[in-house]
Amino acid sequence: MSGAQPGKQVVPLAEALARLAALEQANKLVEADDLANRMLAAMPEHPHILHLAGIIAYRNGRIAQAVERMEKSEVLAPEAALYPRNMCEVYRGAGQLDDALRAGRRAIELAPRDARAYFNLALIHYERLELDEAVRIADQAIALEPDFAEAHFEKAEALLLGGRMKEGWESYEWRFKLKQAEGMLPKTGKPQWDGRPLAPGKLLIVGDQGFGDCIQFSRLIPWAALLCPQPVLACSGELTTILRQISGIGKIVTRWEDTGDYEAYIPLSGLPRLAGITTENVPPAGYLAPGPALVESWGARLDRLVPKGLRRVALVWAGRPTHKNDRKRTLKLEQFAPLFARDDLAILTVQKGEQIAQVGGYYGRAPLLNLGPEIVDFADTMAILRHVERLVTIDTSVAHIAGAIGVPTALVLPHAPDWRWLLGREDTPWYPSVRLFRQERAYDWSGVIERVSDSI
Amino acid sequence: MDTVTQQKLDDVLCRCGSGLRRVRCCDADISAWPGGEAVDALDAQGQEAVKLFNEKKYVEAEALALKLLDLAPNLRPALRVLFEIRKAQKRGTAEEALAIRLAALPGAPAVRAAANLLLAQYYVGQGRYALARPPAAEAVMATPRDATAQHVLGVVLTESGALQAGERHYRRALAVLGRDDGVVLANLAWNLKLQGRLDDAVVIYEQALALRPDNRRGQGGYAQAEFARGNREKALRLLDDGLARWPDDRALRLLRAMADLAMGDAEAVLARLSNAPETLLSAELCTRGQALARLGRPVEAVQHYATAKLLQRERHGQQYQAEAFAAKAEACKAYFTAERVQPLPRAVAPPARQPVFLLGFARSGSSLLEQLLGQVPGFAAGDEFFPVAELNEIIPALAGAARDYPEALDHALVGDGWALPERLRQRYEEARNQLGLARPGVQFITDRSASNHWQLGLIKLLFPDAPVIHVLRHPLDVMLSNLGQDRRLEANCGVSMLALARHYALVMSLIRHFRGQLTLRYLPVRYEDLVSDTAASLRRVVEFAGADPAAVPPEAVLRANSAMPPGPVPAHFSGREAVHGRGLYRHRAYQTQMPALFAEVREILDPWIAELGYREDGP
Repeated sequence: MSGAQPGKQVVPLAEALARLAALEQANKLVEADDLANRMLAAMPEHPHILHLAGIIAYRNGRIAQAVERMEKSEVLAPEAALYPRNMCEVYRGAGQLDDALRAGRRAIELAPRDARAYFNLALIHYERLELDEAVRIADQAIALEPDFAEAHFEKAEALLLGGRMKEGWESYEWRFKLKQAEGMLPKTGKPQWDGRPLAPGKLLIVGDQGFGDCIQFSRLIPWAALLCPQPVLACSGELTTILRQISGIGKIVTRWEDTGDYEAYIPLSGLPRLAGITTENVPPAGYLAPGPALVESWGARLDRLVPKGLRRVALVWAGRPTHKNDRKRTLKLEQFAPLFARDDLAILTVQKGEQIAQVGGYYGRAPLLNLGPEIVDFADTMAILRHVERLVTIDTSVAHIAGAIGVPTALVLPHAPDWRWLLGREDTPWYPSVRLFRQERAYDWSGVIERVSDSI
Repeated sequence: MDTVTQQKLDDVLCRCGSGLRRVRCCDADISAWPGGEAVDALDAQGQEAVKLFNEKKYVEAEALALKLLDLAPNLRPALRVLFEIRKAQKRGTAEEALAIRLAALPGAPAVRAAANLLLAQYYVGQGRYALARPPAAEAVMATPRDATAQHVLGVVLTESGALQAGERHYRRALAVLGRDDGVVLANLAWNLKLQGRLDDAVVIYEQALALRPDNRRGQGGYAQAEFARGNREKALRLLDDGLARWPDDRALRLLRAMADLAMGDAEAVLARLSNAPETLLSAELCTRGQALARLGRPVEAVQHYATAKLLQRERHGQQYQAEAFAAKAEACKAYFTAERVQPLPRAVAPPARQPVFLLGFARSGSSLLEQLLGQVPGFAAGDEFFPVAELNEIIPALAGAARDYPEALDHALVGDGWALPERLRQRYEEARNQLGLARPGVQFITDRSASNHWQLGLIKLLFPDAPVIHVLRHPLDVMLSNLGQDRRLEANCGVSMLALARHYALVMSLIRHFRGQLTLRYLPVRYEDLVSDTAASLRRVVEFAGADPAAVPPEAVLRANSAMPPGPVPAHFSGREAVHGRGLYRHRAYQTQMPALFAEVREILDPWIAELGYREDGP
């Protein structure tokens, strides 16, 4: 007779650990959580269970618990190189950059041939704005693994953020080898455009990356059209109404089947490299404008909806949750309290997506008008922005819309922002109407919104 | 050869308590009931049961009725006999089931009308006016020249808030009677009082009481109408006269005590309601509790309130309808999402007069705000005179939809449905204009309907640009203030502090949902600001609504709060008093004396207290 309890299934530890790891990698996080908790209950001091349970807690958004579990695993198995390597990333998510730096260095010390350990450390240096060090460590990762796309891309971001545009654009080409870039480009044997002239309609320009990137780089389409007249632009349906305004485009398509017989293609985000864009020669903004009829109809609506005599401030506080840096850039509506306490302002939120529900919990003094539910597309957003004194926004597509049409904008940025906003300046060569308000400390928004409010 | 399977007879008695087998009662297959000729064959025996009943031979009558109904569950005379017996036995469930069955039977119009009236009056007796409405309407349709049917429908409509329709049926009852009737007139006067037509109401009351001077309820209603008109001395005289004639009439005594309280004489309330607390009714306990609170005796006040709530629950069987209203809220949230509402058509043309919708959980201060707005030139106080909710029922018919509201709104997307919001708006405006709200010079009409929080989605379609003003108050003050009231609140939530807190959270989360999903012209206003800085708070509201804030009267005039609108006059105006800060953060003093008072609602309300931005240590 077996000694096991009736009904209890005994699984070998190695098998259970493999199953736990597989569940995590398959994004079955609820099941993974359940299994991790059961395994921890049985073996609370097992370092690898603790480590995997920490990763699962992190991915379920329980960062403090993740740190606690993983620190315990490191104490129990101080020589396991994998632990500090993963902890480096978890500490980054927790905003503990000093701990992340220590863990990253320890991981390299334990596994000096592990390219991913270098990559993780490079990310931390980027977050700490130690850009030269970020590039140096990313280069070490690349030396160990020359096709390590993430390391190249990280190097590109550090170079571009530091204003080293020419080198940065070269490394930036690795973005299409990233796992998440799959499907962004057409499956074709045709070459990528090298900047030489082509016959009319023979260049396909692909609106890759996010909406903001497309709006930002679309200013370079007229330059491409000088070399290859009437290029075909393939982009997401949400962008067609506004990108139609860009001069020189032959036709806009939203399906690969409709692109026609092109000879070469180029992603929109590849145009700055070909055009040799630096911080000194960015083509001017003002290349988009809202439709006059929409401007008029929104003007009439807003005159009815917004109390007279109040200064209108538009607001976006959250980005697309699936964006890789969303945790860094997105705020909660309530964090804009310094604006809400003002008696002279009316807040017009042009936020879209699920986050608009936060408006329901707003009870500030400044009247707040939740326009998101009535906004159909970017054309509406542009028209609304024509009727506000200022846009206050996080780093999301609406900032680009406002910049492209020249609306005064206060853009709040994380300490280590996206590369396009550069460092150490309040302005941006991309959009003269945009003023940048940066975090003074990583992951700490205190004082930022107060400065924005003081500027209005 | 086929074998015959012996089947057992289903002799289980019906769960409703009728005494019939369930297969001949609530679980009966109606399509298998005997046809007309078969039933007629039993008529003589049915009449025999009636005869036995009339001869007070109840045991025999019941036995015969049960037998007959086992043969023919649709035999009207037997059904009526059984109904009367169960009614006398106070077996409510059986009584209701049998009344419903009687009302559904085919027959001559007069017979059908009588059966439907029976059912309607059963529901009226229980205060279930929504259920009373269909049978009362059936009775009128079957016998439109029957004064009783018209009168009962008038009562049902009035008590369920359809005041103008109620008035029409009272007047129709008088017309078909061809003479004045004291009871119908008194009910008509009460209807007019509820419509805020106080001058008309007192004229009718005088006629009613001249015909029926013994109508105590009429005497009380007359006094209330005069009190609301500001004729307080006359009101007191009417009440005192009534009490002199009927010294034991507790309703009149309570009205007199409430008048004492409204005039600030708390000691008089204690003297008037001086019975032992255990003998007081819940409304008396609440009034006495309020007087004690006014005299600075909060512990005794809370004891009175708690006893009153206990009576409401245990003696009157009132229960918080948590599940039903949670389901209603979820259904409402599921329908009214940004994605679903955005494509629906809206009424486009600007309204002739802008409605201003007021939100606020009971005792939050929305009536004070309406009284104050009523003092601003260009504003009329529309109170609950015709709630948007009244439109919900007519939407399926207007939209040609088989589905109920709100799903019926989807039909506005099809064919001629685009005009639905305009038609609904027209109906709403007509109803309110008929009351006299659309006076010359009025540009803004407030709508303080208690159901507004359910209607924000429909309001958005009818009045896309209408201001929505939400009066907020510290949730613990809201709890405390409601605790001292005997009013019937939505979902019966007034039966305990826990029910109040749960319903408060439900209502607030519903409003939060609408605000997150719709572009509403919404302004939160705090009661605390309204009573401490009245003119500035009101100017803010007036300016937000789109009116000239310079029209707001000076602080001293506003705080006196004594202006009387030309009419209609909302009911809450009768209780208006000078703006005061007595209720400001009142819960703090109560909590000091009774630390556990709010313990059971803290978990529910603390998140709301935080979300609304109230702090423990001060404003």
